[in-house]
Amino acid sequence: MQEHVQLTQKQINEDLLTSVLGTPRWWWPALGFFVLVFLIGMSAFGYMLNQGVGVTGLNRPVFWGAFMVNFVFFIGISHAGIMISAILRLTQAEWRRPITRAAEVLTVFSLMSALMAAPLVHVGRPWRADLWVFPYDFARGVWINIRSPFVWDPSAVMTYLTASTLFVLIALIPDLAIIRDRSTGLKRKLYAGMALGFRGTPRQWKLQTIAGILLSALVLPVFVSVHSIVSWDFAVQIGPEAWHSTIFAPYFIIGAIHSGVSAVATLMVVMVWAWGWNKYITPDHLDAIARLLIIVATAWFFFFFLEWVFALYTLEPAEMAMRKLQVFESPWSWLFVVFLFTAYFIPVPMWLFRGVRRSLFWMFVTTILVNVGMWLERFLIIVPGLMRRSEFIFDWGSYHPSIIELAMVAMTFAWVGMGMLVFTKVFPLIPLFDIKEGMVGRDEIRIGRRIVPASIRE
Amino acid sequence: MSEEAVHNGHGSTNPVEVMNDLLEKGSGQKPLFWRITALLGLLTVAGIVGFAIRLTSDGLGDTPKWGYHMALFALILTAVQGAPMVAIAPRIAKAHWRRSISRAAELFGLVGVVSFLIYIPLIWVLPSMTDGRRTLWFYGELNVPAYMPQIMATLVLVSLVVTGLSLLWVSARPDFAFLRDRSQGRRRKWYGRLAHGWIGSSQQWYWQKHRLGILGAFYFMMLVTVHFNVSVDFGMALVPGWIDALYPVTHAHSSLQAGVAITLVAMYVFYKWGPYKEYINFDQFWGLGKLLFALSLLWFWFWFSSFIIFWYGAKPSEEAILDLLMVGPYLPIFFVVFFLVFFIPLWAMIWNPLRRSVWGPVTIAISVLIATALDRIRVYVGAFSVSQHENKHQLDSIPDAVLPGLPDVLIWIGGIAACVLVYMLAARFIPPINIWEQKELKLYQVHKKFHRTEVQILGKPD
Repeated sequence: MQEHVQLTQKQINEDLLTSVLGTPRWWWPALGFFVLVFLIGMSAFGYMLNQGVGVTGLNRPVFWGAFMVNFVFFIGISHAGIMISAILRLTQAEWRRPITRAAEVLTVFSLMSALMAAPLVHVGRPWRADLWVFPYDFARGVWINIRSPFVWDPSAVMTYLTASTLFVLIALIPDLAIIRDRSTGLKRKLYAGMALGFRGTPRQWKLQTIAGILLSALVLPVFVSVHSIVSWDFAVQIGPEAWHSTIFAPYFIIGAIHSGVSAVATLMVVMVWAWGWNKYITPDHLDAIARLLIIVATAWFFFFFLEWVFALYTLEPAEMAMRKLQVFESPWSWLFVVFLFTAYFIPVPMWLFRGVRRSLFWMFVTTILVNVGMWLERFLIIVPGLMRRSEFIFDWGSYHPSIIELAMVAMTFAWVGMGMLVFTKVFPLIPLFDIKEGMVGRDEIRIGRRIVPASIRE
Repeated sequence: MSEEAVHNGHGSTNPVEVMNDLLEKGSGQKPLFWRITALLGLLTVAGIVGFAIRLTSDGLGDTPKWGYHMALFALILTAVQGAPMVAIAPRIAKAHWRRSISRAAELFGLVGVVSFLIYIPLIWVLPSMTDGRRTLWFYGELNVPAYMPQIMATLVLVSLVVTGLSLLWVSARPDFAFLRDRSQGRRRKWYGRLAHGWIGSSQQWYWQKHRLGILGAFYFMMLVTVHFNVSVDFGMALVPGWIDALYPVTHAHSSLQAGVAITLVAMYVFYKWGPYKEYINFDQFWGLGKLLFALSLLWFWFWFSSFIIFWYGAKPSEEAILDLLMVGPYLPIFFVVFFLVFFIPLWAMIWNPLRRSVWGPVTIAISVLIATALDRIRVYVGAFSVSQHENKHQLDSIPDAVLPGLPDVLIWIGGIAACVLVYMLAARFIPPINIWEQKELKLYQVHKKFHRTEVQILGKPD
């Protein structure tokens, strides 16, 4: 962290409240675009409800398609918030300060998108989604099975959503008090209500800090359990090939972190481009997150390698047939190549160069590539696994998503964009108090002829 | 307080005084040290006798008889060779609290030689792949030698040991130079050789930091590779039907956990019985304790991730694995392992008086080390006991637990004594507290007045 600009508290308030107290010209068209895509998706959803899931590309034996891929993908993206916020907060990494809130908010909206993708859209009959939580007709043994991992999912995802929302709200309180003090009329009343009487007394600061640390520590097990449970949706089954593997939980978690942290890096670049916050999100911050991504991506690749090695280790015909399908048969083979190159072989070697790590454009491109690759990874796990291309199976099948499905997939992405945009209009996307704390706690030490950055030890 | 004193930390200690103090502390000799060394030497000889008995009575071909020997090798590999990671990881993260720990952890790299010596007979004990078992090497499908597991395991283990030794040497070179400049006669000559022309030029420091980074990353990669090879070829492949893609990671993770635990124990010994109380303080135990706590939680997650797939899937081949390793003949051992490696660390470390003490994390560390030893017995004695099973794709019957004989007990006592002996001798001739890192800390540490209190400012260079 060598590039540092010391800013006054007044300047920080002015810079970071621009998104809340003013409206840039691009904001309405951007929101309009996301709303339009969302409405198209909702119309497609309405059409599907009316006509039945037959309008999608889902058919025997591939009953899990783009919706489930989206579910797993957004659960993955949601891991960004906790990874960046809780872990970096507990390890006292200074570079976390400008990006924690954006990561936490991304978590909340991604989780909502995940819930939209699976229980709402995927089941085809969303009014029955509550039966996963309250399986009244389990006794008949014909429908809901409480021993199914699909019953574990709602409790894990809802717990994670609750904890993440609390995480965002607790960290927002001091900033809400600042906005309260700078607004009038009804707006002031609303912010005053949300600020919960925060005046910045030592006791309030202490409680706020303790709440942050406690939530960080408590949310970590939830963070691990959510994607583990999502992975067990697949891994506990013994029918579909390549799913029944012990490595799925850590493999999914590390993939989620890879995907989520990349999404946060994309978001950082967008924040600089959209609001000009380059004094807060500097090339140093991009450099730090890119270094973290190199480690995370390589760890993910190691798990990918293990998953493949042990699939081949079995030498079981069905498993080998599925792997052959993934690697040698079109379109899966070229999707597989695109997945590997976008998720690892293009971005990681590029991040080894300092110039790439510190470039807004290249970080944007590489992190988008990672998420293209990670979406494909989930697609390649789910769809070929269900195709049953093995001997003595009568119903081989394939899957092509229909336009109706694609509209609903776009809807879930639009929901995240829309949510983030609306959030920035109401709340500051960079935590003001955290930035100010960083400025106060920062120092320098002279060693010989060099000046070394330093910070107050908490 | 003068400006110089404020700049360099509390009191009047400056980098030169720190160096002189540490060199002086390292030069003292206690008769007790040599008595303990002699006792450990005797126990090592007992271990060699145990090995000789096992070799002459059973030969190398009877694989099930060597289960305890394999478990000892796995334990030393896990605990001792995981310890240098405690120096490597915080150094890469530039955590200052590691400075008093790093040398104590790196010294375990030297003990890796013992692990290799114990490994040597296992090259002959492990059956060739001609017995038809599943292997990583696609024997029969590809044109690979029948002894590929032995070849690869030996190569990666030698690489790990050599990397560990290199890491220790590169890290200790500046300290060898300090010792060279302050000793005479034969000692000066030896330390001069080890310092290899170190004069502390900017270029030497630049390369030293780079080498430490590269060797650290390489050590980690080799550690993971060794655990991958050993856990699969010497464990999983011998058990018909055991296919667990996560197990190599669990094995490597145990190594990090036991590495932290063994470093904690070594630090406590230096703190309690060595003259280094000023350099080892609560910060180190707190830092390592937190790490141990996190690794214990991670252990549970890895274990559960494997367990639930086997239990829920309920395939006969997988249920047989649970029978063999968890709920069957080794149930009592598994129960104790679970209790010591997860339950005790979890509940003890959330208890404030214990977590915020020096003895608390050390007690947990001892619990983790005992659990690691038992876990290695559970897995490898169990795996070796079914290595001659007829059906190579599924366990049809579960044999009784194999109990240790006298040679096994002697081998274990001797092996552990040899590790402690090598470590003690290494710490006698190589400063167990890293002198140059302590000097560096004094440069990065400043105490300043902040409003109405005094705070510590810590520099973090790029």
